[in-house]
Amino acid sequence: MSADAATELRIVGFLCNWCSYGGADTAGVGRFQQPTDLRIIRVPCSGRIDPLFVVKSLVNGADGVLVSGCHPRDCHYSEGNFYARRRLEALKSFLPILGIDERRFEYTWVSASEGQKWKTVVEKFTERIHELGPARKINAEMLAEAKAMFATV
Amino acid sequence: MQYLDELKSKIKEKLPDLDVVIGWEQGFDPLRATPLFMRTEEDVDKLTWGPLCVHNLATYLTGLKGKKVGVVVKGCDSRSIIELLQEKLINREDITVFGLPCEGVISMKKVARAVGTLDYIEKVDVTTKGITVSAEGKDYDLPLTEVGADKCGRCQYHNALLSDVFIGDTIDDSAEDDYSDVTEFEAKPREERLNYWLAQMDRCLRCYACRNACPLCVCRDHCVAQSRDPHWMSQDDTVQSKWFFQMIHAMHLAGRCTECGECERSCPVGIPILLLRRKMNKQINELFDYKAGTKIDAKPPLMAFKVEEDNINERGW
Amino acid sequence: MAAKFLPTNQLASWLAELSGQYRTLVPRREGDAVVFRPFEEAFAPELGVRPTMSTKASVFPKCEPLMTFKYEKDEEDPGKVMVDVTERRDDAPAVVVGGRPCDVAGFFTFDRVYNTEKIKDLNYLARRENTFFVSLACEQPATTCFCNWVGGGPADTKGADVLMVPVSGGWLMEPVTDKGGELVASLEDGKAKEAEAQAVKDKANAAIGDAVDVSAAQDKLLALFDDAAFWEAQSSKCISCGTCTYLCPTCYCFNITDEKFGMEGVRMRTWDNCMSALFTMEASGHNPRPTKAHRLKNRVGHKFSYYPSLHDGNIACVGCGRCIKSCPVSVDIRAIVQNAIAAPAPEQEG
Repeated sequence: MSADAATELRIVGFLCNWCSYGGADTAGVGRFQQPTDLRIIRVPCSGRIDPLFVVKSLVNGADGVLVSGCHPRDCHYSEGNFYARRRLEALKSFLPILGIDERRFEYTWVSASEGQKWKTVVEKFTERIHELGPARKINAEMLAEAKAMFATV
Repeated sequence: MQYLDELKSKIKEKLPDLDVVIGWEQGFDPLRATPLFMRTEEDVDKLTWGPLCVHNLATYLTGLKGKKVGVVVKGCDSRSIIELLQEKLINREDITVFGLPCEGVISMKKVARAVGTLDYIEKVDVTTKGITVSAEGKDYDLPLTEVGADKCGRCQYHNALLSDVFIGDTIDDSAEDDYSDVTEFEAKPREERLNYWLAQMDRCLRCYACRNACPLCVCRDHCVAQSRDPHWMSQDDTVQSKWFFQMIHAMHLAGRCTECGECERSCPVGIPILLLRRKMNKQINELFDYKAGTKIDAKPPLMAFKVEEDNINERGW
Repeated sequence: MAAKFLPTNQLASWLAELSGQYRTLVPRREGDAVVFRPFEEAFAPELGVRPTMSTKASVFPKCEPLMTFKYEKDEEDPGKVMVDVTERRDDAPAVVVGGRPCDVAGFFTFDRVYNTEKIKDLNYLARRENTFFVSLACEQPATTCFCNWVGGGPADTKGADVLMVPVSGGWLMEPVTDKGGELVASLEDGKAKEAEAQAVKDKANAAIGDAVDVSAAQDKLLALFDDAAFWEAQSSKCISCGTCTYLCPTCYCFNITDEKFGMEGVRMRTWDNCMSALFTMEASGHNPRPTKAHRLKNRVGHKFSYYPSLHDGNIACVGCGRCIKSCPVSVDIRAIVQNAIAAPAPEQEG
């Protein structure tokens, strides 16, 4: 089911080392077919994820960003994901004012044993990003359009 | 100018025990006040107080750590001090707060819009309703309801929430803040919101006045925006890097911003960045029922958690 | 050269005509600010109020690529990397309309540094030689104006190619250079408006009043160099942002960084400012200007003392007043210079 190269989008995944990265590995070992749009960056814990990782990816042209960590109460470091949850939730609700589509960002919890769940998460998120289509790149042309829109401001 | 004499005498009383007291004096024209650092009694005589005292003087406190500092505050400014104390960025015993009741301050931008330019201000009279400005031989009667700062129209904290010396009578009325500016902006189509920020941020100079005027931007000379390692931001003059800095600012102030509006006031090219801070505050309030700078012993929401969050829906994937 | 008349209703068509040949920058209102942008018919130029920004960026942009580079690995020898470098220089002809006489005078401060016998900044010169100025005379000084203190005036023509003087129904366009004559060649004769324009200029010159003599600042600021208490008092309210320097028509400092993405990158020059801690941060971690007092001392001292002492007494300030009026806390450079002159002379050691 791998997306064909021409329509592949750029999705950045920040995965915690202990659960979700393991979950993705489990999905791989189980030879589950998954879309190939996701580029994974492994981090020690979802608590390591500065919300700015997400924003920077989105501003610089990522079509989607997916964060995945251990389930609440299952954090390898006891409470990293609790802090992450607050930050990521605040970020998610902040995106609309920027005019960035909040659907391009999602966070979730997948444990190391949940290979099947990982496959579902990747499929669903990739499908969503494909429905949204590629994010518009911020460039000179887009800026000129923006300026024209506010010609009278 | 109400309470000014009393304020002066209280400051003179405390001055011998303090290294410096920060207030306001008249600046280069009758409209512009400027922060005043009082070290002697003669300095205290220059002090002014009124709707032209726009600056949040709490901004200077972290830079004066270790000194005995007195500071004159309006209601909104006192919230910044509370937030700084709560984060243990300043020591309570080093700070003497002279609190005042405030009915609102002037927005220089609104005066500029009403008068056309602030280049020729000759005279300013503070009236009971607002101010009268004389420029180029013309008088402009400008009530606070027209030229008051936006934050004052929705003020819930007229009186300093924290003070060692409180001067004057407390003001009882308190407005509602329904964040209608945020919801109105968010009701616009997404493309328009995005374009709005691109069009605005394009003229950003990267002078970082928004950052340096912020009382809670405490990293000062060690800001990630200028760090080369880690390399968060390119030096390139692109709209995305300038916009991205505003996101950094908003994220770093999440649950800490007291909405004093200094960031927006200090922007030399008038970018309306307070809207971003307000959006974050609105969300923090909705998610964690928290308002920064109102309780001295509270814990900032992003430095805490609950195992079962009240308002976060775990997403079932 | 004969002066010409530009009626208000022909401004747009004249600017459109210029735009055909030159990158034409005009002041444009954006929100509460007035900034210089390439002329577009959809945006009426704002010539009524003083621009928030100076014309500096027309010759010395906020950010300019000096070169682009690309690394390529040798296929035969993976240890070997080749780098391909392309120099970048912008010499497209440009006209800037609506800067004030002080703005235009600012470039002389640059010239003394970037165009010397020993040092020629080729990127700067490429634009300097190809940028022409139609400056707009001021009718009335603002409360922050002090161009006359530093050798300027509200209708000064130094550095301008054309001086634009507001008169009834439009502007009198007085060519100053041959190039200026070319720029206004298509306009109608302005003889009839000359007397009126002269009256406007005379009135402005009278309104700005007497200049304060700041020549004593050169020695005095140097004498106060080690007076930490003086500089701490002067800089107490400074918040150390870069507004003053970035709006200044004469601040010419820059930073150079390589911004690399994968195997490709750009070496770019960007504005830098002495209010920033990183400006003087050394590789060892030592910073010779660790506090805002050191930094503000440098800004004032450089403009009114160190620069004049290197460049025949020319002050590196044109008195536009932007650093005063746009400063978030109203730091007034005039007051600092006057305070320095009035300060008691520090005792000489040894």
